[in-house]
Amino acid sequence: MSEDQDQPATKTNRSVLCIEDEHFIAELYTRALTKAGYQVATIIDGKEGLAAAQTNQYDIILLDLMVPNLTGIEILRALRDPARVPPVRSKIIITTNLEQRDDVRADIEKQADGYLVKAEITPKELVEFLDNIQ
Amino acid sequence: MDHLKQLRQKLRQVIFGLLLLENLLLLGGWYLGSLHRSHVTVIMLIGAGLLAMALTVLAMIVLSNLSLQPLEALWQAVLHISPTEQGVAAPDVNKLRIGKDLVTSLIFQIYQFADVANKAANEARVKNSDISQNFIAQNLPLPLFVMDASDTIIFANEMASQYIGIPVSDLVGKNVYMVLDMSFPSEDTLDNWLKGVKSKNATATGSWERVRLNVRDNHPARHFDLAAYYNRDNPDKNEVMLALFDHTKQYSQDDQAVSFIALSVHELRTPLTLLRGYIEVLEDEIDTTGNPELADFMEKMRSQAEQLMAFVNNILNVARVDDDQLQLSLESGDWPTVLKKAVADLSLRAKVRGITLHCRIAANLPAVGIDRLSIHEVINNLVDNAIKYSGGSRTIEIESKLNKEGLVETTVQDFGLGISSSIMPNLFTKFYRDHRNRAQIGGTGLGLYLSKAIVTAHGGSLWVRSKEGEGSVFGFTLLPYDQLTAELKKSGNQEITRSAHGWIKNHSMYRR
Repeated sequence: MSEDQDQPATKTNRSVLCIEDEHFIAELYTRALTKAGYQVATIIDGKEGLAAAQTNQYDIILLDLMVPNLTGIEILRALRDPARVPPVRSKIIITTNLEQRDDVRADIEKQADGYLVKAEITPKELVEFLDNIQ
Repeated sequence: MDHLKQLRQKLRQVIFGLLLLENLLLLGGWYLGSLHRSHVTVIMLIGAGLLAMALTVLAMIVLSNLSLQPLEALWQAVLHISPTEQGVAAPDVNKLRIGKDLVTSLIFQIYQFADVANKAANEARVKNSDISQNFIAQNLPLPLFVMDASDTIIFANEMASQYIGIPVSDLVGKNVYMVLDMSFPSEDTLDNWLKGVKSKNATATGSWERVRLNVRDNHPARHFDLAAYYNRDNPDKNEVMLALFDHTKQYSQDDQAVSFIALSVHELRTPLTLLRGYIEVLEDEIDTTGNPELADFMEKMRSQAEQLMAFVNNILNVARVDDDQLQLSLESGDWPTVLKKAVADLSLRAKVRGITLHCRIAANLPAVGIDRLSIHEVINNLVDNAIKYSGGSRTIEIESKLNKEGLVETTVQDFGLGISSSIMPNLFTKFYRDHRNRAQIGGTGLGLYLSKAIVTAHGGSLWVRSKEGEGSVFGFTLLPYDQLTAELKKSGNQEITRSAHGWIKNHSMYRR
């Protein structure tokens, strides 16, 4: 991938944890994010994903709601547990293709920092979205 | 008992004394008479008899008065404490010449009984008015809420607490709409009903079916029928009573159909996400400058992927409309910006079919009340139809202006096949498609059905004018934002939420 050099100087060096069980989607996101200057780690399994997220070393967590062993909702709840010390400071962005009822979705959105329907965004649009997350 | 004995003794003594005196008088008269057997005798006898008679009458009066005195005092005591007799003084036992002790003790007993009865009545009254002490309210096997005139919960039973997953102590004192986030299947909400009855009725009852308690903090959604009782100025402040009849199992089965669609949509979306992702990578990284055909294919691929996505969203939204779940949140929007963006998104789809989109927007348009995503779909569907039914024509005119009624009217006009008048009435029916074209032109017959539902929910209307062979014009109106807010203010709705024919938030002001 020699195109890396053509990319504009990246304004970010932020780290992203992508918890996503669809291999191809993870691959596309990793590719686009890496090109934009993000450090990306991908984890397929929910339990492992939670463990990694709890290390608190990621700026942003992309969280799919349908991952094996532990659902995204459970991971979100564990990470956003007010009793957690120290609190997870990572921004959590829900990425899903699951259709939720409005009220369920609103309940999830309250706890997360963003909610994206994967089919409605391209990898580039994901990068733009993350660029705008402070 | 001793007092009674004493009284009996005393009465006996008095009667005995009087009888003795009378007999002595008669005996004395008879004796004196026997000494002088003459007229004197007769006079003596008559005198003694008269004296005895007078004495008897006197004794009668004295005795009756004397013996009735205690009874009278008792009677007075009873009247004195009776709640129905006002102003009867308490008896003065010191004036009693007979049975003073007995009467004093009896009156004391009466007063004690009265006191006990009074206390019991008071307790019962308190128990009755304090609903939290009420056995039926506490143990009613239904969630029960009682509110005062300001809609503040003053009582909730254990069932209510369990049902909505909030402890009783956290319910009492809260505004009911803050803890019960309810959605109703129509504009006939609890809130609207209460407003009505509060101005008209002293008492009223109301009931609703298929009310939904929205998800909160992971507490599952509930479905129930609701019954309400209203009593203005209830002395115990129990102004409104709500009873909930759970039907979660039964009513949520109706959601299964949506779940099936939601699942299918998920399965469709994954490959779609990938397709769009890879197309983007290819567009970015394959140099097509020397190969216009390749560039054309790439555009076609992207436009088809976008169309597929629009289709998936259509299915979802139709499912929502059918299930009364399509909910819009209307906000102020700059219509030219929204329309231009939508048209720009669609121009690729038109371009790959050799069609140009012309967009003319009047300069004086006020801000409109719109739900951006949904209205985008309306434009999408109308332009998509125009593209599909353009036949050989190469332009589509999109125009937006303020109409005579002061509404923002947007039209999409094609110059293609047109619509036969015979099928016009069915145009907005779900799955309806023009049979003549079914074979040649793709589509689901959902687009117009959905668009109409969305526009209606915006408070506007969707219409069509068409002539076979000359093309069609589809138009829809949107309300200026100011007009929309004024209308909603009139209906007392604080936040702007609308639905196609579906869930209306009970009291949006308290939406979490």
